[in-house]
Amino acid sequence: MEEIRVVNRNLGKPDSHTLASFQASGGYVQARRALNEMEPEAIIALMEESELKGRGGAFFPTGMKWKFVRADPNLPRYVVANGDESEPGTYCNRAILEEDPHNFIEGMIIAAYAVGAHTGYIYIRGEFGLAIERVRAALDECFAAGILGDDALGSGYPVNLILRRGAGAYICGEETALFNSLEGKRGNPRFKPPFPTNSGVWSKPTAINNIETFCNIAPILENGAQWFKDLGIGDENAGTKVYCLSGTIQRTGLFELPLGVTARELIYDFGGGPPEGRKLKGFKPGGASAGVLTADELDAKMDASISQYDTILGTGGCIVMDETVSMVDAALRDALFFEEESCGFCIPCREGTPNLVQILEKMLEGEGEPADLELLEEIGESMASSFCGLGQFAYRPVVGALRKFRGEFEEMVRAGAPEHG
Amino acid sequence: MIDSPAPASDRLQTLRTRLAPLKEDPGSVMEALYVAQELFGYVSPESIEVIADELGYPEAHVFGVVTFYTMFYTEPQAQHIVRVCRDLSCHIAGAPGIAAAIEARAGIRNGQSTADGKLKLELVSCLGQCDRQPALLVGLDVHGPVDEAGAVRLVDQILAGE
Repeated sequence: MEEIRVVNRNLGKPDSHTLASFQASGGYVQARRALNEMEPEAIIALMEESELKGRGGAFFPTGMKWKFVRADPNLPRYVVANGDESEPGTYCNRAILEEDPHNFIEGMIIAAYAVGAHTGYIYIRGEFGLAIERVRAALDECFAAGILGDDALGSGYPVNLILRRGAGAYICGEETALFNSLEGKRGNPRFKPPFPTNSGVWSKPTAINNIETFCNIAPILENGAQWFKDLGIGDENAGTKVYCLSGTIQRTGLFELPLGVTARELIYDFGGGPPEGRKLKGFKPGGASAGVLTADELDAKMDASISQYDTILGTGGCIVMDETVSMVDAALRDALFFEEESCGFCIPCREGTPNLVQILEKMLEGEGEPADLELLEEIGESMASSFCGLGQFAYRPVVGALRKFRGEFEEMVRAGAPEHG
Repeated sequence: MIDSPAPASDRLQTLRTRLAPLKEDPGSVMEALYVAQELFGYVSPESIEVIADELGYPEAHVFGVVTFYTMFYTEPQAQHIVRVCRDLSCHIAGAPGIAAAIEARAGIRNGQSTADGKLKLELVSCLGQCDRQPALLVGLDVHGPVDEAGAVRLVDQILAGE
């Protein structure tokens, strides 16, 4: 199997972040055609036919999302790019934001026209200094060249995009928290429903998509829905996914592969497997939120079907752990992450995340007791009632590790902390 | 970082001037806070007053926003904030050793600043630089993969700087 570069097609080209380079590679041809020659409904129909699903981790059909937004008569409508990439193990959006910002901007322009929006927001996490600089420069180039503005691409259709920076809050990647942040508020999540398609930023119909999703729009316009569907493996999968590798692996990096490759292919054929002489112990397919899988589950497909292994694909940020990694310690890392990033708005998450940390720390200090294992499960159950996805997922990596590596947890509460703990 | 040591009153006036375009951009509180932090090195109580006044929010709203986000500070900060990722990928790639090396060399712990006000250490959530594990930021500049000797060199450079 070889890499297929659709989203990442321009990475590595000289000055790939500039308008000149992007246009030399056919950039903005599809947006120009869309705005000047196509009906918005036809673009949405093409997206539906392509079966493109949201790459931020929820895999909601993009065409259906846009259709809902367009169908809502409550004006104005908005389009939003979620560039708050903060899921541990994930860095595929950063590569686009830094090296090919015009790529997702083109997708956003097409989306704005398709749903009937004239204003869009680009939200980028505050730690991404270079990404912010490059996107700002790209927007300046677009306004100067008439790609954005009151007469976008000579179509007479106005498209204005506004850049906003986050300031260190993982929760703002959750779409409703992101809207609050865009509106200049604390980034607490909102209750759903209503969903963003009807009530997003400024409580108006909003098409919010991940950076990677936007990068697939122009290629679908150019090559057609069938081409896109054929890129994925099996009937359920359309397109590619930019997988990220990190952890104890020979090669970290981005690998754009057909959606639905197996974890074994990703980790061994592209990542080179664990370091020489070490055995793979487990892997998390999609960041901190994803439950860990064991070395016996390497044939799992890296797509939505991976949920049958009691995990999620999430962002496709795959974190690999070899035999030297303590699964209790790994679970503690995830617990610490969610404790830090819980916004404190609802009780199950605010109280549950530090409880998980305390128990795991106690175990690693050799003070654990068998009853702690049941307690972890119980706290997890109570956190399932959290207000938003953060809390609803925060316990799963801990409880998941406990279920898949129960022996290691039991040994730890029997014998105290091992050397590597 | 404060480039020009202009008097606080001048900087407040500069803040007002730079907030003008943001009045036309609803919801731009965070951009306003970034401007304040750039001018003062932190979000001072006076700048919260000015932002609330200029953008038309209660001060409590602006303060609430400041305290929600980890990259906004309500106290003066060291010249250079070193943010070391402590999440899983960086952790198993050696982040604890990097953090310990910085702590030892600078004589501070997580969350503390050196006495000369040059360096502050923060252990933070994933920075999205996992291909460069273990990674850290000096300000917003990315360093990675970093080893312990490299981390010590960074500390020395920062402490030797002006």
